[in-house]
This record gives sequence, C-alpha cells and structure tokens, in this order.
Amino acid sequence: MTIAPPQPSMDARRAFFDARPAASVAVDLSVRIGSLTLANPVMPASGCFGPSLGRLIPVAELGAVVTKTVFGTPRGGNAAHRLTELRAGMVNSVGIPSRGAAGYLASQHPLYLALGVPVIVSVGGHRSGEYAPVVRGLRGAGDAYELNVSCPNLDRHGTDIGSDPDAIGKVVHAVRLETDKPLIVKLPVLVSSIADCAQAAEAAGADAVCVANSIPALPLTAATRSPILGNVIGGLSGPNIRPVVLRLVWLASRAVDIPVIACGGIETADDALDYFSVGAHAVQVGTASFGRPFAMVEIVRALQERCEGVAAADITELIELWRA
Amino acid sequence: MTVTTALGDLAALRRQQAFAAADEAALDGLIAVRPPERVPRPDPVWDDARVLVHEVVGERYRRLVLATDTIATTALAGQFLMITVPPTGGERILLPRPMAIHRRHPDQGTVEVIYGSAGRGTTALTDVLVGESLLVTGPLGRGFEFPDAALPTETGPEAPRTALMIGRGVGVCAIMGSVEDAARLGIAATVVLSGRSPANLIGLADCAELGATVIPVTDDDGSSALPALGERLRGLFAWAPPDVILACGAGVLARLAADLGAEWGAPVQVSLEAHMACGLGYCHGCAAPVATDPAVEGPLVCVDGPVFDAVLPDRAAAGREKPAG
Ligand SMILES: Cc1cc2nc3c(=O)[nH]c(=O)nc-3n(C[C@H](O)[C@H](O)[C@H](O)COP(=O)(O)OP(=O)(O)OC[C@H]3O[C@@H](n4cnc5c(N)ncnc54)[C@H](O)[C@@H]3O)c2cc1C
Ligand SMILES: Cc1cc2nc3c(=O)[nH]c(=O)nc-3n(C[C@H](O)[C@H](O)[C@H](O)COP(=O)(O)O)c2cc1C
Ligand code: FES
Repeated sequence: MTIAPPQPSMDARRAFFDARPAASVAVDLSVRIGSLTLANPVMPASGCFGPSLGRLIPVAELGAVVTKTVFGTPRGGNAAHRLTELRAGMVNSVGIPSRGAAGYLASQHPLYLALGVPVIVSVGGHRSGEYAPVVRGLRGAGDAYELNVSCPNLDRHGTDIGSDPDAIGKVVHAVRLETDKPLIVKLPVLVSSIADCAQAAEAAGADAVCVANSIPALPLTAATRSPILGNVIGGLSGPNIRPVVLRLVWLASRAVDIPVIACGGIETADDALDYFSVGAHAVQVGTASFGRPFAMVEIVRALQERCEGVAAADITELIELWRA
Repeated sequence: MTVTTALGDLAALRRQQAFAAADEAALDGLIAVRPPERVPRPDPVWDDARVLVHEVVGERYRRLVLATDTIATTALAGQFLMITVPPTGGERILLPRPMAIHRRHPDQGTVEVIYGSAGRGTTALTDVLVGESLLVTGPLGRGFEFPDAALPTETGPEAPRTALMIGRGVGVCAIMGSVEDAARLGIAATVVLSGRSPANLIGLADCAELGATVIPVTDDDGSSALPALGERLRGLFAWAPPDVILACGAGVLARLAADLGAEWGAPVQVSLEAHMACGLGYCHGCAAPVATDPAVEGPLVCVDGPVFDAVLPDRAAAGREKPAG
C-alpha cells in the first residue's frame, strides 16, 4: 500500500475552517424581514437542513435557519425511492413526513433553538384553512413563519394552493390573525403570474415572499423508462433550475415592495449575487448543502469578503459598484 | 408497496423491478431498529481525504484508499461515508454517494472503500486520480455490534464465540469491519462471500489477513443459489450454531439470515441500502420501505441504520404479544 504523505492534522484543518474572518465594522450584511433583523441574508432552504448539520458546520454564522415544513397532523411521507439524481439535477419526492406541530415542539424545536440563530418555522397544509391551526399549534415557537404553499409533490399531483392568488390571500389572512411574527410566503414555480401571487401575499399582510420551490418533474430510469420515484412525480432542484428561478425573482421583486428571498440552485456567492442583482434581498440554499455541507457558510464569508474587497458598505452598494 | 403512477404501461417497470421487489418482499416486516448502542457513535466530520490508491479490483470493482485520520481512528464496524464526486472528468454530480467503510487502518490514518460503477456518480468517480482529494463525510450511521452473547467472557475457559457473516457483492464491504472486530476480540468468524464469479468475489484477501474462515459462493457454479446455500450452512453449523449472524448485500440473504437465526436462536443484524442525500438524518430521503401506518415514517436508513435487527415477522409479533415483565 502507498504510504500516506504528511498531511495537516484534522484539527489544524478544522481550526482553519472554524476561524471566523476578522470582524469588519464597515460591512453590513443584515437584512430585515418584517420586524425580524437577520445578521446576514443567507439561510438554508426548507427540507435541506436539520440541527444535525450543526455537527459539521458553524451554523451560528448563518442569518437564520429554516425548518422542514411542519403540518398539523402526523404524516409518514412518500414511498421509496424518495430521491434521485439525473443529469438535469436532483429530484425528490420525500412527501414531507411530519410529526405535526406538537411533535415538532417536543422533538425538534429545542434542537433548533440551541443553534443560536433566528428560527424560521416552515408551515404546510393541504387546504387554505389548514395553515392557521398549525401556527396556533406552534404556540409562539419560532421567530418567523414560512408558509409553504408551493410543495409540488403532495397528494394533488402538482397543483398547489400557491398557484391561486385567492387561496394565497386566504392563507395569509388566516395566519395573520394568529400571529404578529413575520410571515414569508414560499411560492411555487408553476404559476401563471408570479407577480399576481406575490401581490396577493403582500396585500394579505405577508412580510416577504420566497421564490421558489422545486419544479415538478418525472424522472425515469434510462434502461426501462420506468419511474424512479415511489411517488412517480418529484421536485427538480439544483443549479439547473437557477435561470428559471432568476426570472421569477426578477418578476416578483418588481411587483412587490416586501423583500424577496431567492431560492433555487444557489451554490456559490456568485449565484447569490446573481439573485441580488435582479432584486432579491436574501437567499436560501438547498441542494448544494448535500454535496458541500459548508456551502452556506462559504457564501456568507465570500459576500463579506467581496464587500470588504471593494469597500462596499452592503450588498446593494457592491452591486452598484460593479455595474458602474 | 403499490406504485401509483400516471403512466399507462407498467409492464416494463414490473420486469425491471422484479428483482428489487423480491428483495423488498424478503425484507418486509423483517426489519427492526436496534436498541440503543453500547458504544456511543463517533461524531461525524467532513474531510478532504487524499486518494492514496485507486485501482481496479476483480472485473467490476474499484478500491479507494483514503487518507482521513479522524474517520480511520473513530469509525465503527458497518458505518459508512458520504463521498462527494468531484468534477474531474467533466461530469457534475450533485449528491454525495453513500459507501461502506470496507477497512479501517487507524495506524496509517486510512480507510478503504470498494465500489462498483452503477450509474453516473460511480462512473464519474472512476476518473478521480491518485493524489487528488475527495470530500468525505463520516463516519455515519448505526453499524454492526456484537451482542453480549457473542462476546468472549473474561472468566473461565469456554468454547470460543462464533459469528456467521454473509455478504454479497459490494455488500461484503459493510461486514468487513465486523471481521476486523472479530479478529481483535477473538471471535471465530465464518464469512460467506457471494458474487457472480470467482473474479468478482470481494474480501478474499481481507478475510485471509484477518484469519476468518471463508465460504466463497458464486452464481457461476450455482453455489450462491438459495435454498442450497441455506442447507449447506445448516449442515455446517448443525452441531454448533453461531452466536450471531450478520448480513449485507441482498434482501433474500437477509431473509436467509433471519431464518437461520430463528432456527438457531442467534440474533441477526442486516445492513440495508437506500437512496440518500444528507446521510445525517435531516433530508428524510432514506426512510426504509417497511410497511407502516401511513402517518408514521419508516426508520431512516442513514441514522436508525443502515444496520437493523432482522427478526422473522411471526417471531416479532410473538415477541410483542408477550406480556410485559
Ligand atoms: C449505507 C450504504 C453503503 C453502501 N456501500 C457501498 C459500497 O461499499 N460499495 C458500493 O459499490 N456501493 C455501496 N452502496 C451503494 C451505492 O451508494 C450506490 O451504488 C450508488 O449511490 C449509486 O450511484 P450511481 O451514481 O452509480 O447511480 P445513479 O443511478 O446515477 O444514482 C442516482 C441516485 O440514486 C442513488 N442510488 C442509486 N442506486 C443506489 C443504491 N444501490 N444505494 C443507494 N443509493 C443509490 C444514488 O446515490 C444517486 O443519488 C452503499 C449504499 C448505502 C446506502
Ligand atoms: C430533499 C428536499 C426536501 C425538501 N423539503 C421541503 C420542505 O419540506 N418544504 C419546502 O418548502 N421546500 C422543500 N424543499 C424545496 C427546497 O426548500 C428548495 O425550494 C428547492 O430545493 C430549490 O432550491 P435548491 O435548488 O437550492 O435546492 C425540499 C427540497 C429537497 C431537495
Ligand atoms: S439520507 Fe438524509 S435523512 Fe437519511
């Protein structure tokens, strides 16, 4: 066997990675979502993060964390296989297993709280009336709520509440009566007008919109052209959906005054800056964290360094300098 | 499992999935999450592990030797890694691939992985060069653990403890850590190595090095076929059944192990596969396809497994019906 060449010890590498960059008072990466201020605009996408990732990366450096979507009553999720990867990207049909609001409070929320950053609890439902009871059931836990009206792979094979502006309005109205905390509405990709959907959310009292969820897709095996996923249909995610979501973020951010959180295929600080340059105020990272667990932390640090590098006070100034 | 589909023609799907279905049927009701471990699991780390060896093994497999100190010194038998495939050959692979830790060499700070090229990810992995680094996360999951009854006692002379281990194809990799443990603990290991042909048997040299007794079986000469293999093992162990049975690589072998375990009164542990994204228990991609209440998710293969107890369904039911205490 080949003999191992001398290597820096794991501790040395970890110390290098764990070292926070020198604090710079000049750069302000903070972002406001309603009454909540995040230290920086980078957070995980719902379903692509859990407290166990905190064993691998310094989660405290993120702007916030977002939980997996919580439903009112327990659900088991879809049959195997629940995920796969094609050349087009990742496709998942996890189907959002959930232990319900009570189960989340008992088993998950304490672990999220211990991470030391704002916790955005993602909330789901099958009908517009199901969201408010979940928020009530959460009994004030969480710093903000993300209303997932866009999960494309639940029971109704691809049609979502989030493609219907009236239904979005009803959901937000009902939840607004339950809580004063910031509300983010996470919209789907397949809508006839993202502007109408974002405006419906804003008009009903949402503090931000998140654009967007994964794209409904049907992955087949190469050999027999048979469905790979137990649920047949899943959601496409990863870098290839970025241009599609960039268009949506651009359209949404021109339609509303509330912040737009971009989510779709973000892997690097450059990807995030693409979204900021079309009007996004914050970004969520999903698929990239699986292959590179530290992707989010790298993006935060790189945004800070990019601003410092050109003496920009914030990301808006960074983008302006760059365009000038 | 019923496959609900919008597609009309399921014939091709059925044919292609017949083998998988046989495996799944064999596993149905067989799997139970293991009781809390005796040795706490090591913390997983991510590491840029330098590739020291990358070579062809047999006709269909490749062996990687990876320099990763922490994982080599902490990994428990039957744990696995998530390996991120780099874009060396031009192919972008998004999801890391789960791979068993085949051998641990804590003195050298290395682990070995043996893999077969199946689809895009494992094909792209073959492009990785010696000297490059692979991003690995590990050690992950719940591994194999010898139950107390299989551990040598410190007092008095006793017949040596024995373990039967059954591995097929790359499934052998999941059990090799237990062959290492058996050698260290003085447990006599008999290892069934199953594969398509003699050139495709994984683990012959490892078992020889570790002093395990090997029963090589292949599809070529029919020796791997069931139920003949079962009869052969019943004959071999008729007078002295093993203290524990470990299996990995096929649902039907897990079922055989459970049958033998029930006959012999030996505990059985099996390692399962599932499609995975995170390996850490948060993406919920890997829930085991075990029949459950639709409101309850099956166990997560990456954290509740990959190693589970295997108990015949009727025995499991009988166990549950027993009055408490
Ligand atoms: C705990 C564990 C240990 C494993 N140990 C080994 C090992 O030591 N050696 C080895 O060769 N293989 C091992 N496997 C199987 C290996 O992970 C798959 O062969 C591999 O992921 C297939 O990827 P691909 O790119 O070739 O296939 P693709 O078809 O391109 O993969 C598409 C997606 O499906 C997933 N997938 C496809 N087949 C499998 C499978 N059988 N198991 C899990 N995921 C799959 C892939 O990870 C990927 O996300 C193990 C699997 C698990 C869960
Ligand atoms: C495994 C997996 C699970 C997901 N679960 C949820 C979920 O529970 N709720 C939700 O709103 N979005 C969920 N999503 C969608 C992501 O939050 C995100 O919108 C999508 O993956 C696009 O971002 P990406 O390209 O960065 O992954 C999930 C995505 C993946 C890959
Ligand atoms: S692989 Fe993500 S939960 Fe198991």
